[in-house]
Amino acid sequence: MSETTQTKIKRTGRRREAVKPEERKKKQLIQRIIGVIAVILVIFMAIFAQGINQKGAFIVLIGVGFGYVLQRSRFCLTAAIRDPFLTGGTELTKALIILLAVSSFLYMGINMAKFGLGLETLNLKLAAGYIKPVGLHTAIGAFLFGIGAVIAGGCASGTLMRIGEGFTQQWIAIIFFVTGTIIGKFLMPIVKKSSVLYTGKAIFLPSLFGGWLGAVIVHFGLLFALYIAADKWSRRKQK
Amino acid sequence: MEKILDCLGEACPIPLVKAQKALEEMATGDILIVGIDHSCAMKNLPDWAREAGHNVEIDEIGEGEWDVVIEKS
Repeated sequence: MSETTQTKIKRTGRRREAVKPEERKKKQLIQRIIGVIAVILVIFMAIFAQGINQKGAFIVLIGVGFGYVLQRSRFCLTAAIRDPFLTGGTELTKALIILLAVSSFLYMGINMAKFGLGLETLNLKLAAGYIKPVGLHTAIGAFLFGIGAVIAGGCASGTLMRIGEGFTQQWIAIIFFVTGTIIGKFLMPIVKKSSVLYTGKAIFLPSLFGGWLGAVIVHFGLLFALYIAADKWSRRKQK
Repeated sequence: MEKILDCLGEACPIPLVKAQKALEEMATGDILIVGIDHSCAMKNLPDWAREAGHNVEIDEIGEGEWDVVIEKS
């Protein structure tokens, strides 16, 4: 998208003045220089992180990779949930379902390798992935997060990505994003004390459905059903 | 008729919702120009407009700044 596109639709009104070609070239040169500096900084950051944590460099590089893919693909988790209702488009929703399927498949493999096919040796504290209690607190939190994400114009990852893109409104969002996280940190112990809000019981599907097979059928069956539903939804809405 | 909608600085769903509302009031053949600088709106606004059957063109004004030209049909 570096070239200015010539539009074919006839416009009568005054066109917004486009940035002059020389000016754009200058801007693009600055962008390239900043890009090179950023890459060098990332390499130094990876080396620095490696000194602190054994997986430091790996985490930094994976993070940068995620950011790159997120920016290039315009993948937006908020849009994946919001667009089916707003526009009827479910392309991102389907991508999200595939993402869940692939990642849970990988986590399943890791946990199978760790604990074997039986569940006798299962220790949820050692299991890979975030196996955390679900309950009323999840629903309330999700609702609050949803409101915040729509107002801020993106979820956490999208906000971070667009801060880098230079969208200033999201620079404001990050302040409240951090504030919210700090409040949450202090609020969580209070929530954990309530037996209504927080049951404290983690749900691990294989334990719930009597082994891996049951969990695989229910989990992937549900994801598949959701995928079909999303596909049907977009067709119905667009008619 | 031609209408210009300034959505510079507006985050993701707002340009789309504003464009949808503006298009509702317009007649076939009218042109709506939506100025945006949010990369997410840059995807979902043209996508929606194309799927709704309108004629869509994108004019890149500068780095990260676009005019989405929608001809209602």
